[in-house]
Amino acid sequence: MGPTPHIAVIGGGSTGAGIARDLAMRGLDVTLVEQGNLTHGTTGRMHGLLHSGGRYAVSDQASATECIEENRVLRDIASHCVEMTGGLFVKRPEDSEEYFQKKLNGCEECGIPAEVVSGEEARAMEPHLAKDIDKAISVPDGAIDPFRLVVANAASAQEHGARIETHSKVTDLIVESGEVVGIEVEHDSGPGKRVHGTEGGTEEIRADYVVNATGAWAGRIGDMAGLDIEVRPSKGVMTIMNIRQVDTVINRCRPKGDADIVVPHETTAILGTTDEEVEDPEDYPEEQWEVDMMIDTLSELIPMLDEARTIRSFWGVRPLYEPPDVGSDDPTDITRDFFLLDHDERDDLPGMTSIVGGKFTTYRMMGEQIADHVCGKFGIDADCRTADEPLPGSEDFSVLRDYMDEFGLRSPIGRRSVERLGSRADDVLKTDGPNPTVCECEGVTRAEIQDAIEGSGSDLNAVRIRTRASMGNCQGGFCSHRMASELHSEYDEPVVREAWDELLQERWKGQRHALWGEQLSQAALNYALHATTQNRDQDPANGDPVDFSAFDSGRGQTGSSVDSADVAADGGTDGY
Amino acid sequence: MSDAETPPETEFDPVAPNTGEEFEPVDVFPDSDDFDLRPGADSCYKCSTCDTNCPVAEVDDDFPGPKFQGPEQWRLKQSDDDHEIDDSVMDCSNCMRCDNACPSGVPLSQMHNTARGEYVSEQMDKLSVEYIRNRILANYRTSAFFASKVPRLANFAMNFGPARWVMEKTLGVTSERDFPAFAKQTFRDWWADRGGQVQSRENAKAARKRRGLPEDADKKVAYFHGCYSNYNTPEVGKAMVRVYEEFGYEVVAPEQKCSGTPMFANGMLDDARRHAETNVSSMSELVDEGYHAIASCTSCSMALRQEYPELFDIDGIDKVAENTFEAVEYLRIHEDLKGEVQAADVDGDLAEEFAYHAPCHSRNQGLDRQAVELFRDLDGAEVEDVGDSCSGISGTYGWKEEKYEKSMEIGEEMFEHMEHAEGETGMTECPTCAMQMEHGSGYEIRHPLELLEAALVE
Ligand SMILES: Cc1cc2nc3c(=O)[nH]c(=O)nc-3n(C[C@H](O)[C@H](O)[C@H](O)COP(=O)(O)OP(=O)(O)OC[C@H]3O[C@@H](n4cnc5c(N)ncnc54)[C@H](O)[C@@H]3O)c2cc1C
Ligand code: SF4
Ligand code: SF4
Repeated sequence: MGPTPHIAVIGGGSTGAGIARDLAMRGLDVTLVEQGNLTHGTTGRMHGLLHSGGRYAVSDQASATECIEENRVLRDIASHCVEMTGGLFVKRPEDSEEYFQKKLNGCEECGIPAEVVSGEEARAMEPHLAKDIDKAISVPDGAIDPFRLVVANAASAQEHGARIETHSKVTDLIVESGEVVGIEVEHDSGPGKRVHGTEGGTEEIRADYVVNATGAWAGRIGDMAGLDIEVRPSKGVMTIMNIRQVDTVINRCRPKGDADIVVPHETTAILGTTDEEVEDPEDYPEEQWEVDMMIDTLSELIPMLDEARTIRSFWGVRPLYEPPDVGSDDPTDITRDFFLLDHDERDDLPGMTSIVGGKFTTYRMMGEQIADHVCGKFGIDADCRTADEPLPGSEDFSVLRDYMDEFGLRSPIGRRSVERLGSRADDVLKTDGPNPTVCECEGVTRAEIQDAIEGSGSDLNAVRIRTRASMGNCQGGFCSHRMASELHSEYDEPVVREAWDELLQERWKGQRHALWGEQLSQAALNYALHATTQNRDQDPANGDPVDFSAFDSGRGQTGSSVDSADVAADGGTDGY
Repeated sequence: MSDAETPPETEFDPVAPNTGEEFEPVDVFPDSDDFDLRPGADSCYKCSTCDTNCPVAEVDDDFPGPKFQGPEQWRLKQSDDDHEIDDSVMDCSNCMRCDNACPSGVPLSQMHNTARGEYVSEQMDKLSVEYIRNRILANYRTSAFFASKVPRLANFAMNFGPARWVMEKTLGVTSERDFPAFAKQTFRDWWADRGGQVQSRENAKAARKRRGLPEDADKKVAYFHGCYSNYNTPEVGKAMVRVYEEFGYEVVAPEQKCSGTPMFANGMLDDARRHAETNVSSMSELVDEGYHAIASCTSCSMALRQEYPELFDIDGIDKVAENTFEAVEYLRIHEDLKGEVQAADVDGDLAEEFAYHAPCHSRNQGLDRQAVELFRDLDGAEVEDVGDSCSGISGTYGWKEEKYEKSMEIGEEMFEHMEHAEGETGMTECPTCAMQMEHGSGYEIRHPLELLEAALVE
């Protein structure tokens, strides 16, 4: 065997990260490039359902079968990203009995464990379900955290020698003598971890093979080499509720339709979704009626949603693909299966393969097939181990621990932290210094924030997706500045300020479609707080560097020595 | 029912009501302690007003405060399985000030009470000294019941130095405080001796006649005296009866148990529920007959009005909650109490200047200014408000050895204001606030009903 082939993977979503891990574990040299954060694309804007396959059991049995297989694998290798909530397909009186039977049979045909439960039993499981539902089918649906999963895949790839470049955009494919031989990349802030304000630059990354895993953007990468990849992006809305009204995934048992699923996710419940074709995966309308429809329609299943608090809404685009000869009109008819497009076979351009379509749930399987394909190109015969080897964080761990004794944390906070960190909990949470709670809504402590900063540099949105800090009901109102403070003293004031601004922008963005009722009060309070205590309404310090030396160093600093460990964070002990 | 009609005959006789012993309530909602309160977190916008109003958080740096304990903890909790309640919930005194402070209607005390109940029933070691001590403190009624049979002996034994030392060392009941004295005759014994409801009816009729009211006017109340005025301060109960009769009300004193307040504060929801079943059963039948429930203790009225329907699902519980009033409040609503007080004067024992403390639980019912405003124009007595701080005892909280210091620290502000007040007699509606006031200032403490009695009853 010759020198180790170097593979460039474009796209840091679930697909790209899964491919990178698989290839790296098989011993190949891998560079993953992603234009934003990990999960910047569709992966960070999906529903978080670990499919049992039930949703496709009637319409797309091939996908359904793949789902249940991968569902079992992920429970095992990604246990710290998965919550096995179970799922129900709920039939209302007006829903078709015939379809209910079809669903049940379909599940059986695809090997999905399914059981009929009466309306009463369903309500005993989920007391907030509507009183008049007929019955339901229970299936092994689950909830999965896409951020944690992708970060763990990237971390594992890195452990196996891969290079991960975020905030690095592929601007061109390098084609020499009719073959793709590399990519041209524009770094936002220099290679490695992202640090705001660091000089960026372009880099030519030569590769023996390129994998295009850019999902809805795949066509754009294709364009760079004159290839025609017909991805049909289709948008969907998701609305996040402040609390979990249900602890089980609730699906409406009817053929296709909008607003037919609620997924409990961490502290929240996420309502979804729609399916509507859009032109541009980055620029499409986000409309309030879509959110209203989620709440109105899903209230038929869970009446209390009507009055409940939503904290934000977001949209994602599906990277749907169908071979040019099928020609479905309705995006819901397009298969959820994935396609591997070898551009040598397809377009006579060797050196690159694109992977399009598919689902989050089957990301590993997609990675395995691509890795097989790439290894085949180089005559490498290495086994895929991604189905057996747990992701970092998912090695043996238990969430039942004495949080106070072991970590000095109150039980709900310790519990949440350990759930997020999995087997890494001891490494991260056992610190010598004080470990205050930074984000109170989600129970995220300084130790976890620091661990995330170590992994992702000064990017607070990257810290956010790793920890859930600022994703609770105040949406960063009370913790954004604390998160920013955690960047100090490793990073300077201008870096901290920029990272902080960026986080706040991102937090406000998603709340635009939740501004009524309680979340409006929250937004008003956040605004007032930020304006009055941080000068956020009109910051004179923006732009010019602040002369911090002009400020004194605070009470008690001059002369007397202050034992900082004695001062309570709320100023409680000094009587002021 | 019009005034002219006589009440319909029922099998229920308020003089000898159901004994409570063989009472078998129907469990409408077996898991009623398992309420899912996560939706309550929707109302919280995290302003921290509750935290700044929590007297325990102010003195106890280890206590995370109501915002964490209520909406945050509930939101982080999962309804299933093994999500534990943080043990700090046992440090909350259940003063309920957070409830009153929240601008957004978060059901804070309901969250605390429910979480505490869950903590105690699922996580607390039932053989631990803390559990046993809390259970004894929470079931004050039981101890008081036995003590009242031998009040002299009990008064001696309970405050006998070596015995108290042992109690502190083995049970964690502070020896700093004196146990309240047990009355030689309980309120209920007095009531029975006096002729019970029959006598009360006579007295009410006579008063109505005196006042020129129709003799058969439909004025009747059911007195929820609670444990303390029964066993320790029957003079409060007697004052209630005499004042109400003076206004022409017929009083009944139905079968009743502890309101549950000390049990909520200690997470003993099963005990509280058992007692609540008796109370609700006897009160709801009376409410059906047109009685209103009247309490002289503001924590008792709070329990019946707010905590019962929040925590339990017992037949008739909402009806009882809607028809419960605090004793002075009720008269303010239905009588020209202000006018009568203005026209009256006091002399003798109660011609005093009182340092008045509004109990936290009265605040939640909007009653914190009532005594001060009512007695403003009374000749011969002055009532001065000593501020809106918490007394710090919060029922059983200040009795716990490990909480005693904190309890006194919370009370400091009130003691200071009492010291600065003109008078040297205290006044409050709450029996445990009264203990704390007495303990911190040495003043004798009276109940507003006693002053009303002195002013209005011949
Ligand atoms: C509304 C909605 C709900 C969904 N819900 C579920 C669900 O519940 N369960 C499930 O299993 N699946 C679900 N899916 C499907 C699933 O989200 C996607 O199939 C999956 O996330 C696609 O991942 P990906 O890595 O292929 O694409 P992406 O996550 O989009 O990754 C592509 C990445 O490429 C990057 N990129 C693009 N261009 C460039 C460039 N020039 N240079 C560098 N990087 C570039 C992008 O920034 C992006 O991060 C949902 C999809 C949608 C739209
Ligand atoms: S006062 Fe109410 S809204 Fe404010 S933090 Fe406390 S519970 Fe939340
Ligand atoms: S009930 Fe009182 S002690 Fe308990 S959290 Fe509320 S304010 Fe604090």
